[in-house]
Amino acid sequence: MNLEEYRTVFAAGSLVIMLIVATPTLGLIVPFPRGIERFSEFWVLDPNHMAEDYPFNVRVNESYSVFVGVGNHLGSSSYYSVYVKFRNQTQPLPNATASEPSPLPPLYEFRALVVDGGTWEAPLTFSVLNPFSRNDDSAFVGRLSINDLVFSVNASAKWDSENSGFYYQIFLELWLYDTASQSFRFHNRFVGIWLNVTSS
Amino acid sequence: MSGVSTLKFSFVLMTLLVFASQSYISVTIAQVSESEATLALTSAEGAVSSAYQAVLRAEEAGANVSGLLVQLNDAGELLAKAKVAYRLEDFDEAAHSASLCSKISENVKNETDELHVETYGSKITGFWLTSTGSLVGAVAVGLGSFWGWRFFKKRYYERVLEMKPEVSSNES
Repeated sequence: MNLEEYRTVFAAGSLVIMLIVATPTLGLIVPFPRGIERFSEFWVLDPNHMAEDYPFNVRVNESYSVFVGVGNHLGSSSYYSVYVKFRNQTQPLPNATASEPSPLPPLYEFRALVVDGGTWEAPLTFSVLNPFSRNDDSAFVGRLSINDLVFSVNASAKWDSENSGFYYQIFLELWLYDTASQSFRFHNRFVGIWLNVTSS
Repeated sequence: MSGVSTLKFSFVLMTLLVFASQSYISVTIAQVSESEATLALTSAEGAVSSAYQAVLRAEEAGANVSGLLVQLNDAGELLAKAKVAYRLEDFDEAAHSASLCSKISENVKNETDELHVETYGSKITGFWLTSTGSLVGAVAVGLGSFWGWRFFKKRYYERVLEMKPEVSSNES
């Protein structure tokens, strides 16, 4: 190697070392993108914290429990609202394609502030209360208790001959607080459990 | 005799007035409670949102906010309870829970603001220490390289000058 070539190697080596030494400062100034997928988890589990033994055949005045949970992977602490709603087979669910919540009014709600990477879970105990009536082709549920609070639901269901039952659904919508609009927005996630109200 | 009947009449009148005033007060309380519940709920919603935004700012500054979020979760739970009570027209419960929620949220906000200032201060100090250290290091490497290059060049020329020319003959 001649002197010119030595000089090039020397200059390049020095520059690399200088960059390495300056890395801590560069790290504070230059934002490095984090290639992490951001999402929220939303679940309902059975009383044993499993996804296999959900309440299904429900008797009037008997109490049933499930667990509702939220997992935050949005990259920062998040403020969630969970709305509990009740419907029969013909009433609308949220529209996932249009990111629209169900127009049914919420009965019960939870609020959860979850740190990034953290989870939140709460029990949801419910029972179908009287007045309840049924005949051959329809049933009527008047009230529903959720976590010891009683709500009027006045929901009728037609006999589902295909699945042999009077079907109702308790479903939960996940809403996320949006700091820009300073309000909650439907987070396009919902879960629910079907209930076959069998007898009084 | 007339004095005794006046006394009796006054007593009956007083008793009636006391009962009437009690029922008036309870009706007034119930009415106030409904409007208070609405105000308390609005205020609590604002307090939780404000505390949450303070938590986000502190988190962005690098503060550990997990403890504060636990407290704010309690406030959120009370707010949900207040909202459900309001839907069920239990305005007393709604106002009570909302008021508790506001108190907790305000405490959390104050604590978060303090934590934010502390974290921001130490972050600025850290930034200056790091950048000064890096700058001094980079300058030291630059100067070291410069002197190293001069030394290397000098040695290079010395080596070249020490070389003896060889005369080779090409006799056949």
